[in-house]
Amino acid sequence: MTLIAQSIALFFLVAGTAFSLIGIFGFLRLPDVYTRLHASGKVSVFGVVFLLIAAILLTPLSAWKGLLLIFFVLLAAPSVSHALASAAYKTGIPMARVERDDLKGKLEKSGEEG
Amino acid sequence: MRRVQIAIPLLLVYLALSGNVTLPNLVVGALVALGVSSLLPVGNGAAFSWKRLPRFLWALIRYFFVVVTDILEGGLSTARLVLDPKLPIHPGIIALPAGSRTELGAALSAHAISLSPGELVVEMDDEGTLFVHCLDVQQSAQYAEAAQRLRRRLLREMFE
Amino acid sequence: MERILDITLWVVLGLHLLMALIVVWRVWRGENSVARLMGLDLASTLTLAVLVIVAMLRQNSIYIDVAIALAALSYISTVAIAKFISDHKVF
Repeated sequence: MTLIAQSIALFFLVAGTAFSLIGIFGFLRLPDVYTRLHASGKVSVFGVVFLLIAAILLTPLSAWKGLLLIFFVLLAAPSVSHALASAAYKTGIPMARVERDDLKGKLEKSGEEG
Repeated sequence: MRRVQIAIPLLLVYLALSGNVTLPNLVVGALVALGVSSLLPVGNGAAFSWKRLPRFLWALIRYFFVVVTDILEGGLSTARLVLDPKLPIHPGIIALPAGSRTELGAALSAHAISLSPGELVVEMDDEGTLFVHCLDVQQSAQYAEAAQRLRRRLLREMFE
Repeated sequence: MERILDITLWVVLGLHLLMALIVVWRVWRGENSVARLMGLDLASTLTLAVLVIVAMLRQNSIYIDVAIALAALSYISTVAIAKFISDHKVF
């Protein structure tokens, strides 16, 4: 029983670290703020959640805390990405290699909000 | 009644954090949860009813699985994009109708879109149109609307 | 099995610390304020991951409590600073 739990935990450890590494690689490689936000969001969702699943399987007495933290991370990560993207768009940071922008010129009409 | 509705999740969080479910701890947790919920503003969401609980839970479970598969798919495709030596990204912002009338439904569908990597909500206007930044404009414009329709149907089952 | 797990945990810890170092270097050489803020958020996320790994290494769940507090604080502070950058007021 513990052997199965440990093997699953090992898998989640390796997978979470691999996703974190890919996320950091994308963070270094992608051209502008908006595309980098996709990569950094993946680090928090995949890396931390997979590590927490491994921690639930390995550490005694932490299952409820771990599940609470997974729930909180899944709740917080998209709103952090949205806040950063909105701040970047409002301060007028340009997008690299942009192909289509439906939002262009609409922000001034709707005024300051949020 | 609304206050108790807010207080029960707070009590569950308290119990999860303190880690022991004994009677004194339960009483203290209930008192703290009621105190905190009296400080919070009461929203104007739908009232709780026992009759709708099974349908709500069933829709919640299906929604959870839809979101998890979305996250996994989006994560793998983004990883493939990042590791590709030619970096074939076509970034851009597209407009998507949120379509949910309630505030909570709109917030949850925006959350689900941002959670799946590869798509990211930048802004939302008064009519409820979401402006989504995607790594691949053509692909997202094709698939996002169908996925959005499925999520919207489940959200409507939950909250309306 | 315990031995493999132990070695893996130490390797994973080292990799996360290395990633945090890279991110801090990017914050130091960032091109604009939002990019720097994003780097700071990523660094706090990696600190969260390091705390979870230490909880597994020490077999002690008190580090998960610390991680919960850090997650809440970093979330609030990142959103507040992003709002300050875009609107020049916090609330």
